[in-house]
Amino acid sequence: MKPRILPIAVIGGLLLAACGTSNAPTSSSQQGGSVSLWAEWSSGEQAAFTAALSPFESQSGTTVNYSSKGSNIDTVLAAAVAGGAPPDVALIPDPGTLQTLAKQGKITDLTSILSGLSSNYGSAWNTLASYNGKLYGVWFKGANKNTIWYNPAEFAAASISSPPKTWEELIQDASTLKAAGVTPFSLCTDVGWPVADFWQNVYLKTAGADKYNQLSAHSVKWTDSSVTSAFTTMAQLVGTPSNLAGGIQGSLSNAYPACVDKVFPKAGSQPQAAMVFEGDFVATEITGNSKNYMPGTTGSGGASCTTDPSATPCYNFFDFPAPSANSANSAAIQGAGDVAVVLKDTPQSEALIKYLAGPDGAAIWAHLGGFASPNKKVPSSAYPDPVSKGIAQALVGASSFVFSLDDLQGTWEKNMWQDLLDFVKNPSNVSSIQATMDQQATAGLGH
Amino acid sequence: MAARSLRRGHPLSRSVGVSTSAGPLATARVVPVGRKPAGGGRRDQVGSLLFLAPAAIWLLAITIYPVIATFRNSVFDETATSYVGLNNYKAIFSTASILVNFRNNVIWVVLFPFIVTFLGLLFAVLTERIRWSTAFKTIIFMPIVFSATASALIWRTIFDLDPHVGMVNAAVQTASDWVNPPGLYPVNTSAGQTVAALASSGLSPGASGSLQSASTAAAGDTVELGLIGINAATLQVVGAQTAAAPSASSGAISGLVYRDFSPSHPTVRGQLFPDEVGLPGLRLTLLRSDGTGAGSTTTDQHGDFNFGNVGSGSFRVQIDAKNFGSGFTGIFWLGSQSVTPTSHLSQTAQALLSVPLVDLAMIVAYLWMWAGFAMVVIGAGLTSLNRELLEAGRVDGATETQIFRRITMPLLAPVLVVVLVTMIINVLKIFDIILNMAPGSSQGDASTLALAMYNDGFTGGIHSGLSSALAVILFLLVIPAMVSNLRRIRG
Repeated sequence: MKPRILPIAVIGGLLLAACGTSNAPTSSSQQGGSVSLWAEWSSGEQAAFTAALSPFESQSGTTVNYSSKGSNIDTVLAAAVAGGAPPDVALIPDPGTLQTLAKQGKITDLTSILSGLSSNYGSAWNTLASYNGKLYGVWFKGANKNTIWYNPAEFAAASISSPPKTWEELIQDASTLKAAGVTPFSLCTDVGWPVADFWQNVYLKTAGADKYNQLSAHSVKWTDSSVTSAFTTMAQLVGTPSNLAGGIQGSLSNAYPACVDKVFPKAGSQPQAAMVFEGDFVATEITGNSKNYMPGTTGSGGASCTTDPSATPCYNFFDFPAPSANSANSAAIQGAGDVAVVLKDTPQSEALIKYLAGPDGAAIWAHLGGFASPNKKVPSSAYPDPVSKGIAQALVGASSFVFSLDDLQGTWEKNMWQDLLDFVKNPSNVSSIQATMDQQATAGLGH
Repeated sequence: MAARSLRRGHPLSRSVGVSTSAGPLATARVVPVGRKPAGGGRRDQVGSLLFLAPAAIWLLAITIYPVIATFRNSVFDETATSYVGLNNYKAIFSTASILVNFRNNVIWVVLFPFIVTFLGLLFAVLTERIRWSTAFKTIIFMPIVFSATASALIWRTIFDLDPHVGMVNAAVQTASDWVNPPGLYPVNTSAGQTVAALASSGLSPGASGSLQSASTAAAGDTVELGLIGINAATLQVVGAQTAAAPSASSGAISGLVYRDFSPSHPTVRGQLFPDEVGLPGLRLTLLRSDGTGAGSTTTDQHGDFNFGNVGSGSFRVQIDAKNFGSGFTGIFWLGSQSVTPTSHLSQTAQALLSVPLVDLAMIVAYLWMWAGFAMVVIGAGLTSLNRELLEAGRVDGATETQIFRRITMPLLAPVLVVVLVTMIINVLKIFDIILNMAPGSSQGDASTLALAMYNDGFTGGIHSGLSSALAVILFLLVIPAMVSNLRRIRG
């Protein structure tokens, strides 16, 4: 199927690229001129991004011709590069694409251009934006999947004053919650991807980022003992049905975002569990359920948090904890992000990449909400609430950052999801699941 | 044919023809008319081919070419670039998770066409005999106008696990709660909760879902029993009040059942704190050492109880199982649990022999969709039946059952077979209802060939070889049914 679609994409890419370049008369002066910029953001996100770029436009006099490419920007960009008409600057949601483009020499080495600005980012981020020791990109936006969301009122009902910091504390808090008659966890297991995100976090926290990347490339086998210990660790929580809202069966019919509603219900129902795991996008679901939900641990107007969604409910998160024996991995984060790369080295694109590497643009979008920057220099006061501040802080302080492993598994991604669902159905069956997974990975990845 | 019969019917026209052909003028006039089809044949063929061309090209492009390409891709690898022989077919027949698709197709083909034809026949025969039959037929037929996706979503909600959402479970719950009402402190065992897990201090699991005091007591003793896992909402419902340590009274066994969770000491068990509450409304039984009951009572608002004048001997206090009855909490109709016992079999045998409940739920939904169609087709067959035969049967004294079995059924057989075969083809390629009705967690166990073909070929990681091989197999399976239907139509 792919080869048949590609020519259309190439033509489309050429046309779009042609539009982009025709609007960009190259100017020799530092000021003025224009720069073409591609990213995936559209509608609300596009408006926020445009707002973030407006100081750059007014200060430099350079016009930014922004063009939204949606979620298939990788394909569109690859086609435009192959057709010889790429944009000046692009934000890509995938470090793999950055590596490929750098290898092909299609993007500009930014090491010297950003020499004063690369220190704005932690080494985990600069490593992810580098190829062969040279810096090629700037991580403008980050997404954090290291988040377990909890209903503070439910924690209060069990007298848990501070959220768990280690995996052991999480298991302990789960039993405290149960003693108080609160079901600890709502597990989203109707489909495979949330379980995959969960398992990947456990693997990252137990085995570390290096092993994670090796497993992703299948240079570590799925029958490895590190995989076994991730399964046994996860089984401490999900292997006990009474830890889960509705038990195993209830979890298997628990779709995303219904699993979020079990912890942060709409007006008229009570929460059925205290915690739910998924990435930072859960916040949108919660506030969508009721505008009453306040971020943090105090309800609206300073009242204490209530379980009743129509009174003063709250929502908060804690970082996915690592077992205390693996505390070195506690700041390793699974997530996603958008990295800015320069495809055409013009004075305008250099000025734009410098602006994107600085804190000003990111601070504007942060203030508008729905945004987290891995940039250290973005002041925490730019974030409108404690939850988004916490999400950004975790990104800034990440010791290492990995992308979703399942997305890189090609043909056997769906098998992997099914295997992880099978694990939830029967958590004692780990060794046979591991053997199946390794077989499928070998067949799917061809090695 | 029309012209011949016209000539035959009107002898005059023939005689006119004969008379005109006699003269040379007439011949000259007739010949061009006769020559036209002979001389212009090739040109006409070209013309008709020209007219056919758009349709033929269209057919080639969207039917013939894809069929050939699918056959070709089925012996190529996942990106359709290198030849792999029959490896894709071997993989299909040796992988348990793919064999599941065949099993599900078999379940569908065995159950659905026969049931839907039977239901269609039943409705068609019955609606013939009632007033308001048009209204009834309309209602039965209506679901077919909904898209399969919409129907699947409707039925997914109807079969939802939560009785507050799913209509089927709500109905079962209403009936069940009437017979077997839930207790004050329900423990949802199907959600993995256990009564034993409630025992916190002074208690051990007793007979059949009850709890009993861990140590024995005699007259004049006090007993403190702590339970955990009781949430704040339940406490509000039962009106629990602060617990106080029980005081001993002579000749009696008195005691307290309390919630062993102190907000000020959330992790300490087995100790009565001032902020802990008693559990009211619990039904208790006093057990003699031989296990027989010596009396029963219920705890008060503070969780206190008292068995007076117990006499001599040692006793245990039992918290009855009915306190913890959860009532009906829902059947997971859309789950992949098998209705046939296969847990003792090997993985491959399980894949081939189990019948997941979700398959049956989906078949019910699909019957709802298609019974109306079967009814209408069979109903049309019924109206064209020769009534005289039925009359003759009645005159000869046949009962209605005999008439139905010996006259109606044989006469209707061709129609029934058409419905049956059409439905077999229909369910061989069943797809959308599974994609939309089976939850992700049972999708793998509910998947059919058509769905597997789609999933392997078009979603996530794409394997066009495997997907094409599945398509080829599906194609071969549909051919017999297709040929039989075509013959029937032609005949």
